[in-house]
Amino acid sequence: MKSAIRIAVLVIVMIVTAYPLAWMVSVSLKTADGVGFRYYQDIWQSGPFDRYFINSLIVVTIVLAGNIVFCAMAGYAFARYRFRGAPLAFLLIISTIMLPKQVILVPLYILMQRLGMIDTYWALTLPFLADPFNIFLIRQYLSSVPPDCEEAARVEGAGELTILFRVVMPMLRPALAVVAIHTCLVNWNSFLFPFILTNSTSMRTLPVGVALLSQGAHSVDWGHLMAGAVISALPVIVAYAVFQRHIISGLTTGMSR
Amino acid sequence: MALLLPWAIVYAAFFIYPFVYSFFLSFLDYNPLNTAKTEWVGLANVTRLFSDAQFFQALRNTLIFVLGTVPATTVFALGMAVALRGPLRGKDFVKAAIFLPSILSMVVIALLFKLLYAPGGALNAALAPLGFAGHGWLTDTRTALLAIMAMDVWAAVGYYALIFHAAFAGIPEELYEAAALEGAGTWATFRHITLPMIRPVLAFVLVINTIRSFQVFIEVFVMTQGGPLGTTNTLVLYLYEMAFRRLDYGYASVVAYAVFVLSGVLSIVAIRRLRPAYGAGAGAAG
Repeated sequence: MKSAIRIAVLVIVMIVTAYPLAWMVSVSLKTADGVGFRYYQDIWQSGPFDRYFINSLIVVTIVLAGNIVFCAMAGYAFARYRFRGAPLAFLLIISTIMLPKQVILVPLYILMQRLGMIDTYWALTLPFLADPFNIFLIRQYLSSVPPDCEEAARVEGAGELTILFRVVMPMLRPALAVVAIHTCLVNWNSFLFPFILTNSTSMRTLPVGVALLSQGAHSVDWGHLMAGAVISALPVIVAYAVFQRHIISGLTTGMSR
Repeated sequence: MALLLPWAIVYAAFFIYPFVYSFFLSFLDYNPLNTAKTEWVGLANVTRLFSDAQFFQALRNTLIFVLGTVPATTVFALGMAVALRGPLRGKDFVKAAIFLPSILSMVVIALLFKLLYAPGGALNAALAPLGFAGHGWLTDTRTALLAIMAMDVWAAVGYYALIFHAAFAGIPEELYEAAALEGAGTWATFRHITLPMIRPVLAFVLVINTIRSFQVFIEVFVMTQGGPLGTTNTLVLYLYEMAFRRLDYGYASVVAYAVFVLSGVLSIVAIRRLRPAYGAGAGAAG
């Protein structure tokens, strides 16, 4: 393609991408008395976005820790051990990645209700502690690494858990980075399940809080709404600014094979 | 395998059990306010589905959404990836910019576009010379679904463009050099070299995007609640309505299973595509 056309295409694409986002920021900053952060202050205090923010942070932290440990364990088992039912279990994992999770929405809600976990951090974290996609990633990554180090450690008499945490986890660092990126993004942005599984303002996460703000009395109060949208997107955008290359390659490389 | 235990517990308790329970629920008239009144109704919920005009409207809308957005996203993404191929100053910046929507929550994007599509919004301002002043894109039955579809393409295209871009990197440069020597143009090169070389990735992207689009919910929940006149109602929104507004858990489970079966057909294709990876040991994490 001629480079002038290439550049023209890319410039148009960038403008079309950036324009709505720039609009969002500008609406959130333009107050009746000039440019300022008043909308941000309002919803941070009365939203209560401070609470949503902390909830999102707590949920993502717990879910991330669970995924790193549990998926490393399962991925390691699938990559290194041949045991009965392994192909079937792995097939289950792959199918689950693809299938619409909404099929369990109602029964999961009923289950959480019976367990008395509705509107608690339990409901927001427990079902998401071991994402099959992460197990798939770790298993695939580990399959490409020869088991030499683990066998050396085993010869020296190290136990399975020591091998996993001292030998395998450090080797898995690149895969775990992808797991972390994927887990943080998906859970920070997650809406449907956190929405269904909570019902009080004090347990809502950011995306749920923002969506509910748009349904209530604030529905056409665009300044406050856009400020809420920016607050919920900001941590992701900051992380993106810092780890941009890792995030892009982490989310696309595995998919392009 | 003790190593599998944490995963197995989470999976069994919060996926397999609800999944099976959902099947069971399909045969019940389950009233969450008075569980003692729960009745076994056999296939009544299923037969109700087949005569439910609202369900078919949601199905139709979902299919229009999928069949409209997936090809559009794919074509635009391929075009962007072609434009990105080869040396370019500031390429990392361009990539970062076009990928940006992919990291944002759909809630944020939907809210933002609700504002852009509003009668006094940015889109009408931009289209003012064409006489679109005051058009409510999301309140007109003719444009609401289209407007949401356009937003979805905007939101998804950067992600797929960079997947294609990464796939292009795996095509040997000699092929392009040979094509250039033969005097092949941009289209011929794309058609006879790029496209055949990325066919597996293309198939994978089509399947992933189809399944994802099939589950469209946040967009319509935030922007239109299925309106106007049900023209943006989708399967998952309908499932949500039946379950949590009408509290009709049994029927909602049937709708859920319909979504499941319809995308299950598509998943089988996806698994066929992913399956060779098992045992082959390709480093998926790169």
